[in-house]
Amino acid sequence: MGHYFRPTTIKEALSLASDWPGNYKYFGGGTDLQIYRKQKLLNNEAIIDLSELDDTCSIKADENSMKLGAFVTLDEITTSSDIQTHFPLLAEAAASVATPVIRKTATMGGNLLVNNRCTLYNQSKEWRDAVGSCLREVGNICLVTGGKDKCFSRNVSDTAPALIALNAVVIIHSQDGKKEIPLQDIYARDGIKFHDHLDEDAIVSEIRVPTKPASWWFKKLRLRKTLDFTSLTVAATVDSAGIARVCLNGVSMSPVLIEESLKKLTVETVIKKARKNCKTVDNDLMPLKYRREMINVYLNEWWKSK
Amino acid sequence: MSGPIGKPTPYIDGVQKVTGKAMYTDDYRFPNMLYVGLLRSPHAHAHIKHIDTSAAETYPGVAAVTVGTDLPISFGILPISSDENAMAVEKVRYVGEIVAAVAAETMEAAQKGAEKIIVEYDPVRAFIDPGDSLEVCDPAEQIHSHTKGGKNIHKTAELRFNEPEKALEQSPFKRTESFKFAGVTHAFTEPHSTIAIWNGDETLTVISATQVPHYLHRNLSKVLELPMHRVQVKKPALGGGFGGKSDPFAHEMITAYLSMITKRPVKCTFSREEVFINNHGRHPTTIDMSVGCDQDGIITALDTDTIIDGGAYGSFGVVTSYYNGVLLQGPYKIDKLGFRTRRAYTNKSQCGAMRGHGAVNPRYAMEVILDMLAHDAGIDPCDLREKNFLEENTVTVGQLRITSNGVRDCLQAVREKSDWDKLYGKQPYGRGLGIGCGFYISGSALPIIWNRYPQTVVHAKLDFDGRIVMFSGASDIGQGSDTMLAQIASEELGVPMNYVQLEVADTKTTPVDLGSYSSRVTFMVGNAAKMAAEKLRNEMAKAIAKEKDVSADDIVFRDNKIFTEDGAVDISWEDGVETALAGRGAIVESGYYFSPKMGGDFKGSGAGLSPAYSFGAFISDVTVNPSTGSVKVEKIWAAHDCGKALNPLAVEGQIEGSIHMGLGQAVSEDMRYVNGQIVNANFFDYRIPYSVDTPDMDVTIIESNDSEGPYGAKEAGEGPIHPVLPSIGNAIYDAVGIRMMELPITPDKVLAKIQEKG
Ligand SMILES: Cc1cc2nc3c(=O)[nH]c(=O)nc-3n(C[C@H](O)[C@H](O)[C@H](O)COP(=O)(O)OP(=O)(O)OC[C@H]3O[C@@H](n4cnc5c(N)ncnc54)[C@H](O)[C@@H]3O)c2cc1C
Ligand code: SF4
Repeated sequence: MGHYFRPTTIKEALSLASDWPGNYKYFGGGTDLQIYRKQKLLNNEAIIDLSELDDTCSIKADENSMKLGAFVTLDEITTSSDIQTHFPLLAEAAASVATPVIRKTATMGGNLLVNNRCTLYNQSKEWRDAVGSCLREVGNICLVTGGKDKCFSRNVSDTAPALIALNAVVIIHSQDGKKEIPLQDIYARDGIKFHDHLDEDAIVSEIRVPTKPASWWFKKLRLRKTLDFTSLTVAATVDSAGIARVCLNGVSMSPVLIEESLKKLTVETVIKKARKNCKTVDNDLMPLKYRREMINVYLNEWWKSK
Repeated sequence: MSGPIGKPTPYIDGVQKVTGKAMYTDDYRFPNMLYVGLLRSPHAHAHIKHIDTSAAETYPGVAAVTVGTDLPISFGILPISSDENAMAVEKVRYVGEIVAAVAAETMEAAQKGAEKIIVEYDPVRAFIDPGDSLEVCDPAEQIHSHTKGGKNIHKTAELRFNEPEKALEQSPFKRTESFKFAGVTHAFTEPHSTIAIWNGDETLTVISATQVPHYLHRNLSKVLELPMHRVQVKKPALGGGFGGKSDPFAHEMITAYLSMITKRPVKCTFSREEVFINNHGRHPTTIDMSVGCDQDGIITALDTDTIIDGGAYGSFGVVTSYYNGVLLQGPYKIDKLGFRTRRAYTNKSQCGAMRGHGAVNPRYAMEVILDMLAHDAGIDPCDLREKNFLEENTVTVGQLRITSNGVRDCLQAVREKSDWDKLYGKQPYGRGLGIGCGFYISGSALPIIWNRYPQTVVHAKLDFDGRIVMFSGASDIGQGSDTMLAQIASEELGVPMNYVQLEVADTKTTPVDLGSYSSRVTFMVGNAAKMAAEKLRNEMAKAIAKEKDVSADDIVFRDNKIFTEDGAVDISWEDGVETALAGRGAIVESGYYFSPKMGGDFKGSGAGLSPAYSFGAFISDVTVNPSTGSVKVEKIWAAHDCGKALNPLAVEGQIEGSIHMGLGQAVSEDMRYVNGQIVNANFFDYRIPYSVDTPDMDVTIIESNDSEGPYGAKEAGEGPIHPVLPSIGNAIYDAVGIRMMELPITPDKVLAKIQEKG
C-alpha cells in the first residue's frame, strides 16, 4: 500500500519527510519517479507531492537575471517569451527534454534531480533478476565494467548543463534550514549517490541565474529528434569578461564543468579536460566510441561558433 | 465504377477507433473473470529439474496453477515445425519463455501467485550467435533434439537454376558483398490479449488479438484435445499486427486451458515488455550475395548465401528461409539464380513473419549491389533497373507466374517527380538521392495446411430489412478489410455503404478465411466477396425480371435503385428486396476463392507462388552530416502498383505506413540483446521514428489492373516496405560516397565509414 501526501508549505513537507525516514520520495511531475516505481527500482511507501507548494511556480526573467520556481513545468519554460528572449539557452535545453506531452507535467526541479541512468539498470525487476542485479542495486559487481566498487550511471538532465553554464544557484530547504548553493555543487561523481551533496530531505524551491551571458551554445546528441534521453549534452556560455563555462552531461556520473578564461583556452585544452573529466562507459544505447568521439566534435563545433 | 470502389473511403470503424469506443480484446470484461499470471524463465537454455507449485496453489486469490506437463502436445503455425509448447516442458530455450501460469481473482494476485512458484534449473550452454548454431555441438547442448547432424540448424532451403556461379565467373562486372541486418519487431500498438470462456455447453470461446483466427482454432483444438466443433475463436477490434499476431501463441493455449479447468472466463494481457519478449519479428540476418552484369548492365546471375537467426522455435521460419531466396526473382529478369538460406535455432525468443516477410533484407542487399554495378558499368542506376525489369505476363526462372506488372510506370513516376535526371550524382557533398525497387506476393497461392477447401468463403445475406450482411472470416487488423467487404457489397448491389453490415472473424458464425498474412486478403477475400455479392444480385435480378417480364441481364443496381435503361423497371431498393424475397424469404449466397494451379514440380517450388505480384519503385532524398554521421531522410517519393486501388485512401495509408516502418528498420530500430536477453524491450529504447523523424512523402498509386484481382486489385500492405530501405542506403552513397552494409544505419556506423574512406 502506498501513502500520498500533498503539502502546501515547505515546513509541512519537511515534517512529512521526517515521519517517513528512508521510505518516501518527493514528487514533482513524477515523470521520472513513476517509472522507477513501476520497474521496482524504488519501493518507497510514501509519496510527498510538492507541486502544490506555495510560491514555487513563477518565472521571472529579464535582461539582467532569471528566477524560476522549482515547480514550473518544462513546457512553461520553453514557451515563456521572457525566457526565449533573455535566456534562450534554457528554453532550448528544456525543449530538448522528452516529448511535448511529458514536458507539460515534468518540472524544472525534477529535471535537475532526474535519476541517473544505465542501460543495464533501468530495466524491469524480472530483467534485472535474470541478468543478476548490479552494484547500484543489491549485487556486488558493475555489469558494465566488471568493477567491484564503482558505479558509472549517467546523469541525463538536459537543463542541468544549461543552468550550470549559466552559473545558476539553487535555493534548498532541509531540516537544517535554507541554503543557497551553486547548482553544480549538488552533484556528486558517484553513480549510486549522485545527489550526495544534498541533504536527504532537501527540497529545491528555486533556481536563480545572476546574469545574462554574452553568448551561448547548446546541442544534444540523440538518435531521434524527440523522446530520447541524451547521449551527450553540451551547453556553453561566454560572459562579458570572456570567461567560458562549458558543461557536458550524459557522459559521466555528474555534469562536467570546464570554466576558464577564453584567453587561456584552446580547443585542444577544452577537449582534453573534458575527456579527462568524463568517466564515460558503455552504458548507453549509443556506442561508447562514438559518444567519446562526439565530445570532440561538439566541442570543436562550439569553439568554431564563438 | 458507380459505387464506392476506387473512391477514397474512410474506414467504417475509423470513428469508433479514434473516439475510443471500439472494443479491443482487453476492453471486454466478463462476470467472475480470472486473470493470468505467467512465470517466465530467467535462463536462456536450461533443463527444468523441478517445479514446486505448492506455495502458489495456496496463495490467496489463486484459483488454478498449471505447468508444461499439463499441456504436452506441441503446436506451431506450420505443421512441419510444430515445436512449441504452451509452457516449457523439460527445458527452457530463451529468457522469458513461459514455464508456469496461474489464474487468480485479481491481476495482482495472479502476478504474486506466479512469483511463488519455485523452479530449479540446470543451465546448459546457450547459443546466442547464430554462427555457433551452425557448428556440431555436444548432443546434450542441442536446442532441439530433432535437428540433424548434431547442429542447431532448423532448416536449410536451397534452390539453384542454370549454374549461376559459372555465369558470375564470366561476368564483366561482378560484386560479391556481405550484409548484416539486426532483428526488428512489429511494434504494434495493442499488446497481445486473450480471453477464454468455457461455456455451459462444454464449448470453448476464445476472444483474441490475432491475425489468424482459423489457425488458432486448429491449434487450440490440437493442444487442448478438444474437437474442432467445440472451439470458437473471435477476433474483435485489433490494434495492429504486421505479422506479430499471425502465430498461435502459448498464452492463448494457457488462457484457454485455465478456463477449461476453472470453468470461468480467464483473461491474459501482456505488458509491453512481454510483447517484446514474445517477438516473432524479422530475423536477424547475414547475407553474402553475388550479382553480375554485362557491359550493357543486363544482369547475368545472382547467387546468395544467407543465415537467419530464428530464435528458439520454428514459427514461420521454413517459409522465411525460402522467401529470402525465391523473392529475388523479381522485379528483374534473372535466369541464372541460386540461393541457400540456413535458419539457425538460437536461445532467444523466436522470429517469424513481419511485414514484407522474408524479402526485406535480401531486397536491400540486391538493390544496393545493383547500384554498385550501375556505377561499375557507368550506367545510371535507374536506367540499369529499367533494362532488367521483368515483362508482364511472363514466368520467372523458378516458375513464378507474373501477370500484371506496373514497375516501369512506377520507376518513371518517381524518377520524374524527384527530378532524378537533373540531380542524381550532381548535388553538393552531403545530399543525395537513391533508388530502390521491389515486388511482393499478393497472397500465398498455397494454404499453410494442405486441404481441399477454397482459401476463403464469403456469404452475403439479404433479408426483409433490406440490409446486406457479409459473413467473412477475414481479420481486419487495421488494414481495412472490413471496409473493403462493405465497399464491394455496396458496389455490386448499388446501395449506400451503410446498408452493408458485417459479421467477421468468428470461427463459429463466419466461413473460414485463412487469415491476414501474405497480403492475401484483398485479393482472395475481395474476389470471394465480389462473387457472393454478384450471386445475390443475380438472384434478385432473376426474381425481378420474372415479375416485370424483362431480361435479368438488363437490370441495373445503382444509386439505391433497381432499374432498366428503357424504364420498364424503376423501383427502389426496398421494393426490389420485397420482390426478390417473395415466396422464399432471406437469400444467402456464397462466394469463394481458389488460386489457379501454378508453379514448377521441384522441391520448394511452392514458395513464393502467388496469383499476382505487386511492384514498386521509391526514391529517397537524404542529407548526411559528415561530422556526426547523422542521416536525415528529407523526402521519399513512392510509386506502388497495387493493380487497382479499391480504396485509394487505404492504399495511400499502407504506403505511408510502410515508409515509416521501413525507415525505422533502416535507421534506428533494432532488437538488442545482452547474453540473449533483450535490453530495449519498451517503446523508449526500441527506437521507432516519431512524427518529427518522418520525412515528407509523395505517394503515387499505379494501377496495372490485374486480370484476376477483384476489379483488378493486388496487394498494397507489404510490398511498399521493400524499396524504402535500399532507397535510403543508396541515397547515402550518392550523398557521401559510402556503402552501408549493416542495418540499422546509425550515425556511429556512418561516421566510421566516412572516416575509413578518408
Ligand atoms: C519517455 C521519457 C523521456 C524522457 N526524456 C528525458 C530527456 O530527454 N531528458 C531528461 O532530462 N529527462 C527525460 N525524462 C525524465 C523526466 O521526464 C524529466 O527529467 C523530468 O524533467 C523530470 O521532472 P519531474 O518533475 O517529472 O520529476 P519527478 O519524477 O517528479 O522527480 C525526479 C526526481 O527528483 C526528485 N524531485 C523532484 N522535484 C524535487 C524538488 N523540487 N526537490 C527535491 N527533489 C525533487 C524526485 O524525488 C525524483 O527523485 C524522460 C522521461 C520519460 C518518461
Ligand atoms: S554502471 Fe554498473 S553499477 Fe552502475 S548501474 Fe550500470 S551496471 Fe549498475
